Amino acid sequence: MKKAEIEFTVNGKKRTLFVKTNELLINVLRNDLNLTGTKYACGIGECGACTVLLEGRPVLSCLTLAVDVNGKNITTIEGISKDGFDPVQKSFLKNAAVQCGFCTPGMILMAKSLLKENPNPTEDEIRDYLRGNICRCTGYTQIIKAVKECANNHNQDK
Amino acid sequence: MQTDTKILAHEFEYLTPNTLNEALDMLDRYQDKNAKILAGGTDLLVKMKTINLKPDYIINIKNIQEINFITYNDDGLKIGAVTSLSQVEKSKEVKAKYSALYEAIKSMAAIAVRNMGTIAGNLCNASPAADTAPPLIAYGAEVKLANKRGERAVPVEEFLTGPGKTVISSNELLTQLNIPVLDENTGSSFLKIGRVKADIAKINIAVYLERKNNVCKSCKIVFGSVAKTPIRVKGAEDILRGQQLTSDVLTKVAEKASEEIKPITDIRSTAEYRHEIAKVMVEKAVNLAWERAGD
Amino acid sequence: MENKQFIAISKRFDIKNVGKVTGKEIYASDVNIPGMMHAVVLRSPYPHAEIKSIDLTEAEKTGAICISRDDVPDLIYNERIVSIPDKTYKDRTVLPKDKVRHTGEAVAAVAADTEETAFKALEKIKVEYKKLPAVFDIDEAMKPDTSQLYSYVYLGDKKIDIENNIACVRNISVSDIDKGFEEADVIVEETFNVQRIYHMQLETKSTVCVPEADGGITIWTTTQGIHNVRILLGEIFNIPLHKINVKRITLGGSFGSSIQMNSITPICVALALKAKSPVKLVMPREDDIYDHASYPLRTKIKIGAKKDGTLTAGHCKVWVEIGAHNIQAYPYLGCIAGWFASLYKWINIKYEGKAVYTNKTPTCARRGYGSPQINFPVENAMDILAEKLGMDPIELRLKNYVGKGDEFWGQGPTIKSIIRSCGVEEMLVEGSKLIGWDKRIPPSEKTGDIRRGIGVARGFHTSGTGGPNPGEVIDYSGATVKINEDGSVDVVTALMDHGGGTWDVAAKVAAEVLKVPFDKVGIYNGVDTRTTVFDVNTHATRGVYCGCGAVKLAAEKVKKILLNYAATLFKDLPENLELVCNEELGQAVVYPKGLPEKYKTVGEIAKTAQIKSWGTIAYTSSLRQKNCPPCFITYFTEVEVNTKTGQIKIPRVIMMGDSGTIMNPELWKGQIIGAFSQGIGLGYIEEIPYDTNTGKLKCNGFITDFKVLTTTEMPKIDDIKVLPAHTYEPTGPFGAKGIGEAALSAVASSFGNAVYNAVGIRFYDLPITPEKMLKALKEKEEKKDKKE
Repeated sequence: MKKAEIEFTVNGKKRTLFVKTNELLINVLRNDLNLTGTKYACGIGECGACTVLLEGRPVLSCLTLAVDVNGKNITTIEGISKDGFDPVQKSFLKNAAVQCGFCTPGMILMAKSLLKENPNPTEDEIRDYLRGNICRCTGYTQIIKAVKECANNHNQDK
Repeated sequence: MQTDTKILAHEFEYLTPNTLNEALDMLDRYQDKNAKILAGGTDLLVKMKTINLKPDYIINIKNIQEINFITYNDDGLKIGAVTSLSQVEKSKEVKAKYSALYEAIKSMAAIAVRNMGTIAGNLCNASPAADTAPPLIAYGAEVKLANKRGERAVPVEEFLTGPGKTVISSNELLTQLNIPVLDENTGSSFLKIGRVKADIAKINIAVYLERKNNVCKSCKIVFGSVAKTPIRVKGAEDILRGQQLTSDVLTKVAEKASEEIKPITDIRSTAEYRHEIAKVMVEKAVNLAWERAGD
Repeated sequence: MENKQFIAISKRFDIKNVGKVTGKEIYASDVNIPGMMHAVVLRSPYPHAEIKSIDLTEAEKTGAICISRDDVPDLIYNERIVSIPDKTYKDRTVLPKDKVRHTGEAVAAVAADTEETAFKALEKIKVEYKKLPAVFDIDEAMKPDTSQLYSYVYLGDKKIDIENNIACVRNISVSDIDKGFEEADVIVEETFNVQRIYHMQLETKSTVCVPEADGGITIWTTTQGIHNVRILLGEIFNIPLHKINVKRITLGGSFGSSIQMNSITPICVALALKAKSPVKLVMPREDDIYDHASYPLRTKIKIGAKKDGTLTAGHCKVWVEIGAHNIQAYPYLGCIAGWFASLYKWINIKYEGKAVYTNKTPTCARRGYGSPQINFPVENAMDILAEKLGMDPIELRLKNYVGKGDEFWGQGPTIKSIIRSCGVEEMLVEGSKLIGWDKRIPPSEKTGDIRRGIGVARGFHTSGTGGPNPGEVIDYSGATVKINEDGSVDVVTALMDHGGGTWDVAAKVAAEVLKVPFDKVGIYNGVDTRTTVFDVNTHATRGVYCGCGAVKLAAEKVKKILLNYAATLFKDLPENLELVCNEELGQAVVYPKGLPEKYKTVGEIAKTAQIKSWGTIAYTSSLRQKNCPPCFITYFTEVEVNTKTGQIKIPRVIMMGDSGTIMNPELWKGQIIGAFSQGIGLGYIEEIPYDTNTGKLKCNGFITDFKVLTTTEMPKIDDIKVLPAHTYEPTGPFGAKGIGEAALSAVASSFGNAVYNAVGIRFYDLPITPEKMLKALKEKEEKKDKKE
């Protein structure tokens, strides 16, 4: 089958690739661009490990055709901080919100998106926003705490 | 049957119409050729991965701006086919007026899926557990189906005919959803029970009713995941209609509703549990809609 | 308790997790080798079938590399080699030679340029099966006329017959059980079932294999122990070990699922060797679900006590349904006996264990290695006993627990040691105050649709499988510690980290011994079986106690070398020198005692050693711990049962843990809370039922229908309290014991006891789903109505 040319922006960088129509965004990111921070864990939209930001909004790269992001803007975990660490990343480290780390990229991208939409979420709002992201190690509490702490810090900055 | 959810092994022609006319042309051309519509991808791609659905053509309608809208006026609420669930959830009118629909969307999966998925997709997928169907049926919503030669309107209640089955023809596209303006003194509610919060429903219910002089003037009670399609429990509606909402009436409504549904035992729950829980849910959902209807 | 000022231990650090928050951490599934091929595995659609023929012709015509039974060695092996060879049962080959024994069992495999093309080739493989009757239930399986999975297997090198699908048996007696029950005034006898579940580790099992020019191989794989993978691959493929290199790499969760070498690892190797090309094999989730599950357990428990609550006897009969392969049922049966014997002073013990083959996914270790499975019956039975005796459940536990000075069975009947640190009493007493135990009322006094209840349960796990005498389990670790030429330190070890912070602790231990600031200690991936000495595995909650024990030993030896070199520089004796951390300098310094101003930094000493060609300041240790101290846990769980819907919520929990010195407080808490979410999952939601008509999982391998807890099911932040007991383990590195597996042992038990306290119904089978709850409530009402 012929490959189609797609041009899209990943983490601020313009990329031109030739992909088959049945190639999934997750595999193009992981295999072609070596952006392996985006994780496969279920492939059917049930776990959130493959979350990326499409035009700034979280979507599942395991259910997205690569051809479908032609002309669009993608942010992966590798692209959320240009230099040093983003406050969410720092907060995850500080609160031991990371154990095996396999769910962490998806969790951090969701947290970033939540804080953008709602800079001061309540605990319930955080829990609800992250409910599609499975973590088998932490029991979530320290992840929720890490996000909550970012929210509070965010307020103090204002 | 072997699967591999890491990839889409099956190859297909990928079409990206930019206008509705183009899309309908394509549908017409490929109506006998196993073409599938891609809007969100959260159902289609999952099916391709898990049950080896193998379309020869995928028509991605996401880029058609004509069907990407949500508007509200005297005619009611109109939602385009590619409008994401998140967009609907964020609409002020939906939140303020169409409580059952709002709550149904909020109950679905999680943010990323709602950023991708659409109501049209939820309906066309025609799962008996589809969360948006019960509220839409309760509101008397209809879908607009278009083909190259014209369009027709079908009530959501008639649109769904069985698990995975609808009245849509292979050359038709669901382009739009129309939900009527809700009358004064009406209220609606949606409830769902799953294994965890983000889950396919074990059972879900939507209630829409009109309350006047403390009497239920009209009502619709719709259950999901308890029959081959979402179903209205008309016997229970009959009991409620014209009555004041006493606990006696509510008990009768609940008993009747539980009799009318035809649930099965599957991996998510048992028929027995669904019968039991239907009663609790009817009472709670009717009460909630009743309160919201005010007087 | 030793009171000591630490420089690194018990302080929190973040630096070792930097890769995980930036997406830069490389897991086995992330390894990309230029030119590598991608592999997929063809799996059996039947639970039990003879393989008549496999035709790869059409698949190979696509250009793909294919393997089936003829392409893999004949060696029958066991993928877990933690037990000594004489106690290791062997029943499998890389791919099945004669028949498949469970749905999803690998039959053939394909590698191609892309996973998509590999999958398309795989669809062209033709396998002819002859279906055989399948068994899914232990009682059915043990009947003499039932279809047999195996006629023989190997125990060590000995061929043994298998009858009635019984994989192995283990019976243990202590003192006189009949006498014990004769002495009892009250007896409780019940049967409990704990279900099989799926580990649901986030990273599916993965392997990348590169064939090297000299006939050797390099491997990246999801494993809890790189050395055992190497040893096994050497045996299977007959390659000398120096030509096999297994890289240590970050693991995306395991929970026991990778104690053994993953089933796909030798498949990937066979493909790579045939293709003469690097091959990557990452399991799709649905393959992973059909690859491994936790051991279920049926327990018939009988316990007796005198009127005053003194226990007199404990009798357990257990059956474990192991699925299609015996990965480690024998040590598992031993461990269950040990966990049972070490919970309470039964005085007289009888234990009868049976492991039975069925045509289901093979079961393997899962966090706790049988402890949650036996804890549920014991801790429920203790509550039943307390009620019969009219005694408070906490008082009964305090009277009978196995504690300081008692013998602990760390790994079945052959690995035992004396308990030297124990926080059980502190946890029971302090925890009960925090939860408000004195305000707890019996279920009969509760009314309304929403009913709350509080339950207690206690448990433990061993810290490692060491002991004064060698037993059936291999246990030792090793580490190299070296001071670099600038005074920074490298810790090189094969020890794996599941995410619980084992590597952080290893670095801390080295920092503490050598007084080097933590940020000057490196513990990096990139090490492998060539550059490290043997470490058995990160299992049995042994990472900190055993693995880091070896790091401590190496660091202490390094300290000696360092002080010897320093003595030469100071023209003094090593024992006259002091080694301290100088935080201002951010360096460790050495000075003659009483003369701190005359210090030399460790960096200077190391540099001098290099310039003067004295040699590297380094040491490689190999250490077997001589004890297996239990780390204890106590849960006070509150539940809220909705009697209308049968749904259960967790409004509050107090979790108390006894790990001796806590090396990394935040991650320690995180492990306990994480275990709590897994335990509650076991309690009310997780299960993987089979469709016995098709032999397939009802979820079909998709997690759409295998639910685990999400953010919204957990209690709120402020309603979760995790507190440590104040203990010090004299035999552990800086007083430390473990936590990981202990944390799960008693969760479901406390949940079950809390449910009883809420609604007065004792559930004997997990999970307590809303469906079961509502049915039980209805039956209870009906009984009550009949009585009235």
